[in-house]
Amino acid sequence: MSAYRNNAYEEDPAYPDYYGSRNHTRGYLKTQDYPDSPGPPNNSDDPSTRSNPYSADSRTSPDYPGSLAEPDYPRSRRNPYYPGTRSNPYSTGSGSPDNPKSLAEPEYPGSWSNPYRPGSSREPDSSESRRNPDLAGSRGSGNYTGSRTNPAYLDSLGEPDYAGAQGSSNYAGPGANSNHPDSRRNPEHAGSRISPYIDAPGAPDYPDAENQSSYPDFLGEPDYPGAQDYRSSTEFWGEPDYPGAENAHDYSSSENPEMTREMLSRASSVQPSFHREGDRPFGILGRKDGDYPESIEMKSRETANPYSPSVPGAPGNGYVDPAYVGDNGLSQAYGDPPLSGHDWHKSPQGQKLIASLIPMTFRDRIKTIRNQPRTMEEKRNLRKMVDKEKSKQPRRILEFNGCAQCLNSISLAYRRSKNSLSELFNSISLWQKTFKVIGGKFGTSVLSYFNFLRWLLKFNIFLFIVTFSFIIIPQLTMAKKNHLQFTGLEFLTGAGYFSDTVMYYGFYTNTENQHGSSGTSYNMQLAYIFTVGACLVVCFFSLLFSMARYFRNNFINPHIYSRGIAKLIFCWDFTVTLKSAVKLKQKNLSTEIRENLSEIRQENVKLTLNQQLIRFSAHLAAWVVSTGVTIACCVAVYYLAKKNTEFLANHSNPGEVLLLPFVVSCINLVMPRFYSMFRLVERYEMPRHEVYSLLIRNILLKLSIVGILCYYWINIVALDGKECWETLIGQEIYRLLLMDFVFSLTDSLLGEFLRRIIGLRLITSLGRQEFDIARNVLELIYSQTLVWIGIFFCPLLPFIQMMTLFIMFYVKNISLMMNFQPLSKAWRASQMMTVFIFLLFFPSFTGALCTLAITIWRLTPSADCGPFRGLPFFIESIYRWIDTLSQSRRYLWVVWIYQNLVSSVHFFFILTLIVLIITYLYWQITEGRKIMIRLLHEQIINEGKDKMFLIEKLIKLQDMEKRASPTLFTPDTRDVEQSGPLRVREHDAARDLRFRRSVQEDNPKA
Amino acid sequence: MGGSGSRLSKELLVEYQDLTFLTKQEILLAHRWFCELLPQEHRSVEESLQARVSLEQILSLPELKRLIALHRAAVKIAMQSAWPSACNTANPFKERICRVFSTSPTRDSLSFEDFLDLLSVFSDTATPDIKSHYAFRIFDFDDDGTLNREDLSQLVNCLTGEGEDTRLSASEMKQLIDNILEESDIDRDGTINLSEFQHVISRSPDFASSFKIVL
Repeated sequence: MSAYRNNAYEEDPAYPDYYGSRNHTRGYLKTQDYPDSPGPPNNSDDPSTRSNPYSADSRTSPDYPGSLAEPDYPRSRRNPYYPGTRSNPYSTGSGSPDNPKSLAEPEYPGSWSNPYRPGSSREPDSSESRRNPDLAGSRGSGNYTGSRTNPAYLDSLGEPDYAGAQGSSNYAGPGANSNHPDSRRNPEHAGSRISPYIDAPGAPDYPDAENQSSYPDFLGEPDYPGAQDYRSSTEFWGEPDYPGAENAHDYSSSENPEMTREMLSRASSVQPSFHREGDRPFGILGRKDGDYPESIEMKSRETANPYSPSVPGAPGNGYVDPAYVGDNGLSQAYGDPPLSGHDWHKSPQGQKLIASLIPMTFRDRIKTIRNQPRTMEEKRNLRKMVDKEKSKQPRRILEFNGCAQCLNSISLAYRRSKNSLSELFNSISLWQKTFKVIGGKFGTSVLSYFNFLRWLLKFNIFLFIVTFSFIIIPQLTMAKKNHLQFTGLEFLTGAGYFSDTVMYYGFYTNTENQHGSSGTSYNMQLAYIFTVGACLVVCFFSLLFSMARYFRNNFINPHIYSRGIAKLIFCWDFTVTLKSAVKLKQKNLSTEIRENLSEIRQENVKLTLNQQLIRFSAHLAAWVVSTGVTIACCVAVYYLAKKNTEFLANHSNPGEVLLLPFVVSCINLVMPRFYSMFRLVERYEMPRHEVYSLLIRNILLKLSIVGILCYYWINIVALDGKECWETLIGQEIYRLLLMDFVFSLTDSLLGEFLRRIIGLRLITSLGRQEFDIARNVLELIYSQTLVWIGIFFCPLLPFIQMMTLFIMFYVKNISLMMNFQPLSKAWRASQMMTVFIFLLFFPSFTGALCTLAITIWRLTPSADCGPFRGLPFFIESIYRWIDTLSQSRRYLWVVWIYQNLVSSVHFFFILTLIVLIITYLYWQITEGRKIMIRLLHEQIINEGKDKMFLIEKLIKLQDMEKRASPTLFTPDTRDVEQSGPLRVREHDAARDLRFRRSVQEDNPKA
Repeated sequence: MGGSGSRLSKELLVEYQDLTFLTKQEILLAHRWFCELLPQEHRSVEESLQARVSLEQILSLPELKRLIALHRAAVKIAMQSAWPSACNTANPFKERICRVFSTSPTRDSLSFEDFLDLLSVFSDTATPDIKSHYAFRIFDFDDDGTLNREDLSQLVNCLTGEGEDTRLSASEMKQLIDNILEESDIDRDGTINLSEFQHVISRSPDFASSFKIVL
């Protein structure tokens, strides 16, 4: 998303107006030919021009009611010349509907009242414009949507070509006002379009010239203020007036203004000729305009390029994308690349692109070129052209050449080294190959589990490195000899031999580690507390950021009206390579589509009250049962733990300590399976609901067990007055973690294997099982919670978790390959990742944080072991440290920071206040954006309706003309020459248009 | 590794690196793959750059590789497994992909540079912008610049496969397409254009991770 936006921004300002204007003026210079063009030179080309824009443009911009509010009409009524023209259509109107006037007249009233455009009535503009229906100018300025749509356009207002337009406003006044509602929409066009009329009024009959006096200023004056208003209003994005600009931000800049364009281009593509035109390698606007200066197609071409500089290519094919910076070339590339490959950059749009590339820095240029959706050949040519252009430029920097070269080579070397570095990282990236295989066989959703696992592994590696280097190594340097016996059972219990190693809190000393005579000392107390604190802070932020990233990705869209079918269809997993996997995936997709469809069908069928009651009671019962079971488990664990300590006090069998972790792991193993059986009773309509409710129940169970254990540790073990209770807690956590690992290991190796045997041999109807992502991820979350809690009591825990994760990866991988089949439901992998990370953050990490906070602030460390021995509280070490620091003058700033920032209530109060204010502001902004998006959405829908309407009209028009044309059409040599390469159908279309023009031209005369 | 013996010149390699999203290794690997398709005597760098490989040849590549792998080192097997899924026979869009990326007049063969373009678009580092653009072109079966109902039904047929049991019935297809259009056709003109398509894609973060080939 952001990429699109960036692109749009790169592009838009890059082609400011001069290119556009050049382009258009060229087009319009050609337009000037038209007096001598085939149609009988009645010099009244204008009516026809006017009429065409009407049929095309005005309707295309439904939401810019100003442009709808055809200024022309009121005026034309006043116009003395027009009655004639009008009477003509009226008399013949019904007979010859091809006459645009006759078309226009009956329709416009309609468009005034906007019967088919609800959108315009919502637009504040429209009311305005209705209030002063005669003042065309004001309406025109109200119409500045074109300029508003894109900030870049604001600049263009200041551009000389627009000034030119202003200069010519005498003629342009009538011209722009009456004929070019669209020109008002985009100032550039106004500028360029107006220019032909400079000549046009020279034609004696030009009717509006007389009217000029009545609107002398609207083009020059009112328009500008209008535009400036909008410029100033760019800050209020809540304002529905300049949706385009918003659009540019929110909609990857393509939707709104380009809609108009697309719409037109689509309209034009109804006639094959327009479409094909894009395919001509020399399909330059000017040329076309020369051919049919005032035909609809020109209009559509031109308006289709409201900012041709930025996204010009689009019109031909309706491909509108900022990435297409390029132009016509696009349509060529699309149409038939081989032809266009060499020529596209010669088109004005290609030129534009090149011009925009020249001022860029080397890297930006490469990046932009790389982002062009073109073939290699085209990209290469483009680069060559740019380099050539660049070398042509005046060599002001010649004197710095040596320096520049030097810089250049440095940047090149830097780039190369960066490239090779990233390659290196790529090659050492863990399990790249395995990931590919998993993705190839099971798709991205299962891959997300492994990604999560790898992410946790990296996390733990980081934690381990930090604790290892700041706590463990210093302690190891002064380790005493361990006299305890090692039997092997210690690996399971974590007690005995290990309790006197760096693994546990109790081993650490509180002595300040003196190194030689240098006087530098290492304070173990502070190192311990700060290292653990730093670990947790880093965890907090990395979790927060990754959570925020996922959230942003998943909640871009505020309307939830989408069901995701489109996503299902468009997101074929191209990573899947295995033929059988593809077959399976196709099958699954088809079932899922069917399910989705039946869901939609069912939605219309309302459930009876009875059924609803049954369903509701089933859910309620399931929740009651699951919560009850959770509570029962917690109580059981609590009493077991209590009894266990009493029991252990009397007996000394080292294996007995394993009872508690064994029971906990059993609960963790069995309960999720029990919960998933509820599905048989509950029958959720949406599979997603089922997954979520399962997830909630499981996480509730696991974390309440951890919670009750924490409560037990803090309230019973810690207050028991046993020696080294911290070590005891560390050992418990170690045992829990290890037991969990052993259980999931056996589950993967044995349980899943057995399940496969059963599924394949005994009960074949079961088939192979599917990988339960949710359950597996919850296991990971559970063990990670234990690690976070335990890191204070057992600093080596990250290392153990690291090992278990590493082993688990391989075990799960093998089990997956052997025992599982690809998922039958398309999992929204990224959405689930968001949920997982959120769960990891919210109950898991915050819970661990709370536990540790209570421990550090409330509990008394044991008197005879650990770095904090002898202190009333753990946190006391910090207080004492501050006290010592405040005695020496050198560290007064630390003391100041501590007193005024860390321990100050006022500071936190103010900080909270500021954060709240910012949050509130952001909230308001999002609310406003939501409104904006809704409005824009409505607007787009309206434009679409208009497009449909237009196309219909156009087709009707064509049909009618086709019927009438053979008698009136006289071929024109120039046209034949130019349209030579075109197809016959295009010919027809061109003929139609020209015919229409000639009819129009006849009208005024008559 | 490999017996192709020819290596791209340094300048060309740098140029390819600049113009595509691929790394040096990936380009070299792609070149090796490409050379395997050519007859032994035409495997020099110049000729490999000129040569075009027909669609059939590219589609047959995995099989060809299997033959080679029979009497060559394990390296080949690794390469075979890494053959881009876009051209894999299993990929339902293989023909569309080759058609979109081909620059030959008949649109049925790929040159080495087309091949690089293809890999570049499907690479990890390509922007979502360009990915969605090409995805759109791949799905646009009649190359007219919009996804209309025919395109969508062809697309759905590709996705569900041609089997009797998986194919959707006409009424299902109609309903499905109605739903797709309702969701994605923002301006309600009955077709999905590129910007609408990109809008839909932007709402599904899975797209970028699934529209790729791991080399």
